[in-house]
Amino acid sequence: MIKKDLSVEFLGVRFENPFCLSSSPVGNCYEMCKKAYDTGFGGVVFKTIGPKSYFIDEVSPRFDKLDKETTPFVGFKNMEQIAEHPLEENLADIRRLKAEYPGKVLIASIMGNDEQTWEELARLAEEAGADMLELNFSCPQMTSHAMGSDVGSNPDLCRKYCAAVKRGSKLPVLAKMTPNITDMVPVAIASLEGGADGIAAINTIKSVCNVDLAREIGMPIVDGKSSISGYSGKAVKPVALRFIQQMRADPRLKDLAISGIGGIETWEDAAEFILLGATTLQMTTSVMQYGYRVVEDMKNGLMHFMEEKGVDRLQDLVGRATANIIPAEELNRDYIVYPEIDSDACVGCGRCYISCYDGAHQAMKWDDALRRPACDHEKCVGCHLCALVCPVGAISKGEIKIKPGRSTKAENVRV
Amino acid sequence: MKERYTTELEPGFTPVTIAGETARCLLCHDAPCSKACPAGTDPAKFIRSVRFRNFKGAAETIRENNILGAVCARVCPQEKYCQQGCSRSGIDRPIEIGLIQRYVTDLEAAFGMKVLEKAGPNGKKAAVIGGGPGGLAVAAELLKKGWAVELFEKDAKLGGYLRYGVPEYRLPTGVLDLEIQRILDLGLVAHTGVKVGKDVALDDLKAKFDAVVLAIGLAAGKWLAMFEGNPAVETAVSFLRRAKEAGGDIDIPANVLVVGGGDVSMDVCTTLKLLGAKNVTAVVYEELCEFKASRKELAGARAAVVSLHDGYVPTAVDGNKVTFRHRKIDAELTYTAEKIILAIGQEVDAGGLGLAFERNQIGDGTLKAGEKLYVVGDVSADPEKTVVGAVAGAKRAAALIDEELGGK
Repeated sequence: MIKKDLSVEFLGVRFENPFCLSSSPVGNCYEMCKKAYDTGFGGVVFKTIGPKSYFIDEVSPRFDKLDKETTPFVGFKNMEQIAEHPLEENLADIRRLKAEYPGKVLIASIMGNDEQTWEELARLAEEAGADMLELNFSCPQMTSHAMGSDVGSNPDLCRKYCAAVKRGSKLPVLAKMTPNITDMVPVAIASLEGGADGIAAINTIKSVCNVDLAREIGMPIVDGKSSISGYSGKAVKPVALRFIQQMRADPRLKDLAISGIGGIETWEDAAEFILLGATTLQMTTSVMQYGYRVVEDMKNGLMHFMEEKGVDRLQDLVGRATANIIPAEELNRDYIVYPEIDSDACVGCGRCYISCYDGAHQAMKWDDALRRPACDHEKCVGCHLCALVCPVGAISKGEIKIKPGRSTKAENVRV
Repeated sequence: MKERYTTELEPGFTPVTIAGETARCLLCHDAPCSKACPAGTDPAKFIRSVRFRNFKGAAETIRENNILGAVCARVCPQEKYCQQGCSRSGIDRPIEIGLIQRYVTDLEAAFGMKVLEKAGPNGKKAAVIGGGPGGLAVAAELLKKGWAVELFEKDAKLGGYLRYGVPEYRLPTGVLDLEIQRILDLGLVAHTGVKVGKDVALDDLKAKFDAVVLAIGLAAGKWLAMFEGNPAVETAVSFLRRAKEAGGDIDIPANVLVVGGGDVSMDVCTTLKLLGAKNVTAVVYEELCEFKASRKELAGARAAVVSLHDGYVPTAVDGNKVTFRHRKIDAELTYTAEKIILAIGQEVDAGGLGLAFERNQIGDGTLKAGEKLYVVGDVSADPEKTVVGAVAGAKRAAALIDEELGGK
C-alpha cells in the first residue's frame, strides 16, 4: 500500500492532509466532525456560526439535484443557511473536538451582521480552540441582506469585516468568497487589505435547479413556492477553477493562499485544484451524496498521483499549472492541428460527421458504404469537436499545418 | 405454475434502466438499426426521442411506422434485424431495441395515447381474408389510406397465430387486444368465425369489394407420415393453442419429446417447462450452427432447462417410442415419452378457396395473386416469415393496392 506524505502547511497551520469538510450541513455538530476525522479528513470547517440575534429557521424540504441520463447529482442545490444549533452548543462542540483531536485542524466558520458581531464571534471561536477562522462572505441563501453573498460582492464590507475579525482574534483568517460576482480579484484584495491571510473559493452559485413541470414551481417546493439558492457539485468545478486561476494569475495575488472548493469528488478533481494553486481542499456535495468515505480514495489516489509525478511533498504540486493558463490573446494562433482518425478503433457511429457538419465546419466526410469518417483538410479548422464527441476516443491530434506567413515551426508545437 | 406461463418472461425496463440503455445508444448518423427494420419502425428515431425524454414522441414514431409495434417489440427476433448492425457492438453489446420499444409502447398504453386517426373515406372497399398479423396490418394500412375494410377471420377472435400460438409469457393477450382495438378504432369491420371458402365464397368477395387481400397464413401444423394417427402425437400449433386458450391451465405430462428446432419448437419446450413438465427433450433436424430458432427463443428454452439434440431425423415410431438417426455421424437415439409434439413447421389451410398454392405460397412474388387479389404474410412470396416481415409486406401491399385501385 502506497504511503506518501500528504501533509501541507497552510497559513502557518499543519494539515495532515489537505482534505477538509467545507462549512455546510456535513460539519454541523460534534458527531459529524468526529466521524469525518476518524474517516481520514485532515480538517473540518465547522458549519458557520452566526450572531445570537440571528434566528435560524430552515425550510422543508431544502435540497434539489440536477441529473443527466442516469447520473444523479451532476449538480446539487441547497437552501440551508448557517448552523442552527445555539452558539454555546457549537462552541462546546469545537472545544470538545479540539480536545479529542489535537492533531486535526478545526476551522471555525463565522458570519456576523455588523463589525461588532464579527469581532465577537472571532474572539469566541479562538477561545473555543479553533485553529483558523473562515469568514463566510458568501452564503447565497441568507434571509438577511446584511449577511452572506451580498457582503462578498462588496469590497468595502469585506475589508471592514476582516479588520473587525482581526481585532477579535490573532488566528489566521480565510475569507470565503462568492462566485456570484464578475471578478473575484477586487473582493479578495479588499479582504487581504482588511487582514485576511488567504481565500477560500468558491461558495455556491445562485441557482434555480429545476422547475416542476406539472405544478409549474421551482424545486424544491416549499408550500407551493421555491427560492433561488446555492448550486454546487461536479457541475460547478469549472467555475471554481476559473475564479482560482484568475486570482492566482493576478500579479497582486501571486502566491495567494487558497483553500479550493467546488465539486471535488475524486482525487483527480483534487489534483486539479492543487495544480491551480489550492493548498487545502474542501468538500460538501460529494460527502452529502456518498459520505465521508470519499476521502479514502482521494487520499490514496493523490498519493499515487504524487508517485507518478515523482514528488515527495504535496506542496510541490501547488500552483504548477497556473502559468499554463494564459490570456487568450497570448495563445499561439500560428497553426492548425488536424484530427487523426483511427479507423480500427472507430465503430462507425458517424457522430463526428454530424457534429462537424452541424456544429463546426463541414469538414468531416462520411463514407456511406464503409460507414467511416474522413477529414477534409481543406475545410477542417482543427477545432477537434469531432474528438470530443467520439464515443470511443478514436480521434487524436495528427498532422500540424502552419498558417501561411507564420514563424512557428511545426516540430516545436506542443499539441 | 400457471403464473410463470402468464407472466412476461423477459423483465422490462424501468424508468431508471431505460435512461441508462438509451444513454448507451451512440445515436448514429446513418443508424443501421433503422435501415435493418423491414417494417421501417425507425428505432434510431424513437430511441433518440427517449434519450431526450420525449416518450410520447417516441410512441408516435413507433405507432405511425408499425401498427403492431407493441407486438413486434416482444416477438421480433431483433438480433436478425435492428440489433444486428448496431454500432454499439463495437464497444460492448447491441442496444436492447426490442425492450426499449416495449417500454415505449407500454407507456403509450398507460398514457391512453391515440396516435392514429381515421382517414377520410376514398370510396373504395377492400376485403381482407385472415386476421393474423399480415391481415391486421394490411387492413390498418388500407384504413389509413381511406379504404373501407372488412376482415374475415375463421376463428372466434382476431389475432391469428399471435392470439392462438405465441405463448402468453412472450405476448400477453392484453397487449394484443389493445393493438387490435387500435385497428378497430380506425374503422375496421371484422367478421369473426367466418371461413372464406366455406361460409363465404371468394368470388363473392371479389365481386363485392374493389380489392381482396389474402392473409391466411400457415394455420395448420405439419405432420410427418410416420406419426399420423398416433394418439401420443400432437402438433405444436394444436398444443400451443390449447395452452394459450386455457391460460396455461392444461394437463402437462412429465416427459415430453418435441421434434423440431425453430421458434415454435422453442415456444413449445419453454411452455412445457414453465407449466411443470419434468423432462422436455427437443430433437432437432438442424445442427446447432444452422439452428432456425432466434437466439432469444433458444436462450429462453435453455434457461428453462430443455435438453436439445441437434442434427437428428426421426426414422421409426413405435407408439410412444421414436428412433432418430444423426444426419452426418453414425449415431442413433431412441426416446420414449408420454407425449410427442411435432414442431416441424406449418402449412397453408386453403380449403374451399379454389386457389393453387405452391409450397404454401401463392402469387408471382409481387404481392399479387390475380385480378383484384393481393397476398401478404406467410403465404406471400415475401422471404421474411416473421411478424415484422408481415407488417412490412402489408405496408407494401397496401401501397400497391392503393396505387392500382385507389380512388384518387
